[in-house]
Amino acid sequence: MSDGREPQAGAVVARRRFLGLLGALLGGLGVTLGTTSGATRQPEADVPRERPLKEADFYRPHDLAG
Amino acid sequence: MTAVTCELCPRACVIPEGAAGDCRVRVNLGGKLRATTYGRPSAVHIDPMEKKPLYHFHPGSRIFSLGTAGCNLHCLNCQNWQLSQRGGDEVEQTYRAEPAEVVAAAKGEGCRSIAYTYSDPVVFYEYVEDTATLARAAGLTNVFVTAAYINREPLRRICRVLDAAHGDLKGFDDGFYRRVSGATLKPVLDALVTFREEGVWLEVINLVIPTLNDDLAMIRRMARWMVAELGADTPLHFSRFSPQYRMRNLPPTPVETLVRARAEALDAGLRYVYIGNVRGDTGSSTVCPRDGTLLIGRSGFTITANHLTADGRCPTCNDKIPGVWQ
Repeated sequence: MSDGREPQAGAVVARRRFLGLLGALLGGLGVTLGTTSGATRQPEADVPRERPLKEADFYRPHDLAG
Repeated sequence: MTAVTCELCPRACVIPEGAAGDCRVRVNLGGKLRATTYGRPSAVHIDPMEKKPLYHFHPGSRIFSLGTAGCNLHCLNCQNWQLSQRGGDEVEQTYRAEPAEVVAAAKGEGCRSIAYTYSDPVVFYEYVEDTATLARAAGLTNVFVTAAYINREPLRRICRVLDAAHGDLKGFDDGFYRRVSGATLKPVLDALVTFREEGVWLEVINLVIPTLNDDLAMIRRMARWMVAELGADTPLHFSRFSPQYRMRNLPPTPVETLVRARAEALDAGLRYVYIGNVRGDTGSSTVCPRDGTLLIGRSGFTITANHLTADGRCPTCNDKIPGVWQ
């Protein structure tokens, strides 16, 4: 008897390895790009945005108490 | 290195050079105490006066309201924690607003008053003082919405430019203050008395939190203290708790609890006791203590009826109703 699943299982394993490698490469690239771009964006996110009072919307609904 | 002691509130923070006090916004710069949030409010809105809430002070008017980052209390249930429990450089947004700009904006929007609110104005004291001084000169009134955790001397000084205060009496138990707010009761009581002594119109709020400060015997003691020390005509607002910040394990206050608290306070001798933060008009209207005439009807922040005479009297019995009505 021959097991018809053997070659198919091998193809699945190969495909998984290929996809895993591709994922690792793309993931690494994403991390690199994210880190690089984050280095320029991060300070802006940390510093509070300061605006002149005339730009405030005094009538904007809010849920602050008091 | 010169440390400075902040004498503004009972914490009396000893602040090393380059560091901040417990409130996060009062800092020691070169041996001098500075508020980093001076001229830098992070919340600026125009609200109904009833939202502060003040019910006996220019009812139905709009009030220009601002607050900065920082607070000298750390209440587990703080509704405004994203503002109050952060330093000036940690909030998402600030506005550049020198005192003169605030006054001009308030007048330009047709407001009669400015509220120093949202976080505790104690921690932006100098900003309040300078703005309120200009506001008064411009014909506006000033409202201080506070937890009243402030030393007597600076409070007396700021009272010179205040017209009304909304004082938060969080509970009538020192242990409650320590556990929930990281503060103490006695200075708050002293401050509320000082507002009254200095002739600032005062209304008191008590947030009723299930299981923590909803004991009716304690509420009765609080009301009796108010009658004796602040006067029976001082309005008291019982406000409904909703789960917030670090106190999400408790349910909202049942309306029945607020109704019972109100009855207890009225029975103890207070003449104007209100319920807030609930839908509808339960306990939110002003009635004449003598004859029950409806004086001011409210639903939420809206005035639904105003039967007060022009000089603030009951139209039925002609009794003078305490407040600032004109």
